[in-house]
Amino acid sequence: MRRMISSVRDGRGFDLMLVGVPFAFLFALAGLPLIYNILMSFQEVDMFSLGSFIRPFVGFDNYAALFRQPETWPILTNTLVFVVGSIAGQFAIGFGLALFFWTSFPGASWLRGLFLVSWVMPGLVVGAIWNWILSGDFGVLNFLLRESGLIDGNIFWRSDPNFSLWAVIIANIWLGTSFNMILLSVGLSAIPGDLYEAAEMDGANAWQRFWTITLPMMRSTIGAIIALGLIFTLQQFDLFAAITDGGPNNSSNVAQYWAWDLSFRQYDFGRGATISVIMTVFVMFAALVYVRSTRHEVRG
Amino acid sequence: MGIRKHSIAIALAMTCASFVGFDVKAEDVKLTVWSLDRDIQPAPNLIKEFNAQNNGIKIEYRQIQFDDVVSEAMRAYSTGKAPDIIAIDNPNHAMFASRGAFLDLTDMIETSTVIKPENYFPGPLKSATWDEKYFGVPKATNTIALYYNKDLFKAAGLDPEKPPQTWDELVETARKLNDPSKNIYGITFCAKANEEGTFQFLPWAQMGGASYKAINGEGAVRALTIWKQLLDEKLTSPDTLTRSQWDSTATFNAGNAAMAISGPWEIDRMLADAKFDWGTALLPVHQEGAQRSSAMGDYNWAIFSSTEHPEEAFKALEFFVSKDATMYKDFGQLPARSDLPVPPTGNAAKDAALATFLEQMKYAQPRGPSPDWPKISKAIQDAIQAALTGQMAPKAALDQAAEKIKSIDG
Repeated sequence: MRRMISSVRDGRGFDLMLVGVPFAFLFALAGLPLIYNILMSFQEVDMFSLGSFIRPFVGFDNYAALFRQPETWPILTNTLVFVVGSIAGQFAIGFGLALFFWTSFPGASWLRGLFLVSWVMPGLVVGAIWNWILSGDFGVLNFLLRESGLIDGNIFWRSDPNFSLWAVIIANIWLGTSFNMILLSVGLSAIPGDLYEAAEMDGANAWQRFWTITLPMMRSTIGAIIALGLIFTLQQFDLFAAITDGGPNNSSNVAQYWAWDLSFRQYDFGRGATISVIMTVFVMFAALVYVRSTRHEVRG
Repeated sequence: MGIRKHSIAIALAMTCASFVGFDVKAEDVKLTVWSLDRDIQPAPNLIKEFNAQNNGIKIEYRQIQFDDVVSEAMRAYSTGKAPDIIAIDNPNHAMFASRGAFLDLTDMIETSTVIKPENYFPGPLKSATWDEKYFGVPKATNTIALYYNKDLFKAAGLDPEKPPQTWDELVETARKLNDPSKNIYGITFCAKANEEGTFQFLPWAQMGGASYKAINGEGAVRALTIWKQLLDEKLTSPDTLTRSQWDSTATFNAGNAAMAISGPWEIDRMLADAKFDWGTALLPVHQEGAQRSSAMGDYNWAIFSSTEHPEEAFKALEFFVSKDATMYKDFGQLPARSDLPVPPTGNAAKDAALATFLEQMKYAQPRGPSPDWPKISKAIQDAIQAALTGQMAPKAALDQAAEKIKSIDG
């Protein structure tokens, strides 16, 4: 008995407890819903059987039916374009801004702080405002493009199947850029200044310093940002609801919005869960790449 | 064991306490009502009036957000916690009725002196019907008709008292009114990829002799072809594909569209915002003399089959229905009643518009009724959008929808 107590206070039991608490927490709040979701994807679930646990088991029917639908592949492709486009845009502009503010001109930190306003705004508000900006007939974006001579006629960002997905991507890039910038700024300021001084003495120019010092030193930050960006873009829902509703003709529909549409508009919870499972697999694959890419990291 | 004994004792004590506590109102039957009405809308106000009668029935009200009505109701029903009465959007009524979640009111309505089926417009009543039995009562109703800008009609040399009567005339009129140089589109409507799109398209299909069960009928194909023509010729904004009815009509109010298809919910805003003379007309038909049709919106009252007080709940419904006569005056919603004239409001434009909508109401048809309406509606939306974006021909898109609907509807 005493040995048990002492083990809990300081020993193996203590270690297990330290691991056990967060593990139990994770399992209850993330593990169980995940398992429940996977279970649902193998069942036929509608609103009336939502309250019960035992529901007709349909095997892989939901998966098979999903991939028989003609819109499935286009929507999955859209999801990929949305994720890659959003992350690339957010990262490129965010990194540019972070480097710009890193030069620390007067008022740089103030301005950098102000940029965060976009990240603080609720997605639905951002969506509603971009909805006006992107409006075909009276939108500000079209006005600017027209006045600057870039386009002749109005582009119907929301309603032209060739542009609708990009309309949401543009709004999402605006939304996520500042978050990228802040994290990258933190990463930049963690790089020791003497590295640059030494490089400068060795005659490295700005371009070489960027490629051989800044980028390698930022490796883990960049990895984390891209992983976070993946999560944020895959859970981006408000902008779709506010700007295009996934339309026209599914041209801007993505997996997460589609899962919601199936579950909460058509009340087909089984199929909605199926899409979530597919997304989970995709995210797990991405997480694996992220973990592998940062595993051999050397901290200076 | 000790714990169990204790808990029994506590439970007993609490039961006794609750008996003592509620002993004053022991005879009151408690009902719960769910709806999405806000404080200026019918449900909470009618319930207040009902409770003030002190007739031994007390109603508790819970407001539910639009997006949550169906999911909350189903979750509550499947876990045995459903309210006694709910206001449900009419296309969702059949889903509940067909599963036995709603109480069959046919017998009670037969003996009721307040609720009489013959007093209702056929469309709304049908939406509360399943298998030829009444599973609810229409709460309010609305439909769509054509709004047009009389000033722009005059400017284009058209007779403002002669709005278009047929689809061909509508297209022709839209062409004449269309003026890109002044940012004026001929017409605005809604082909959005949600229930609103179905709501606006189905009347056209029905006027052309089709129905949701035969959505690829010749008339429906022609309707979709005309919609596509309106978009292709830029007689309506391409944003019609993604804009809600409310936002579309806003462009009409701003003078950027000469005609608009929408419902009576627009009237008050139009009176305030539109700085021009406007009128209303029945939806143009397939061809001269062809049958009319229109959409039908708004909610139905229903009693959950799990209620412990069906008779009291029905009394509450009778009370709500007895207030139909003043519904428009008090809350600005149209009762689904053909026997009640909407009293004049004193505003000529408003009265004329209301008269049009009441006339149009006679031809209003429910969406469904089908337990799988959301999926059927989705198939129709997909067809509309596929055709209007030019990715499929109208005929092919509707054929595909018909096939989907067949597999859903069985």
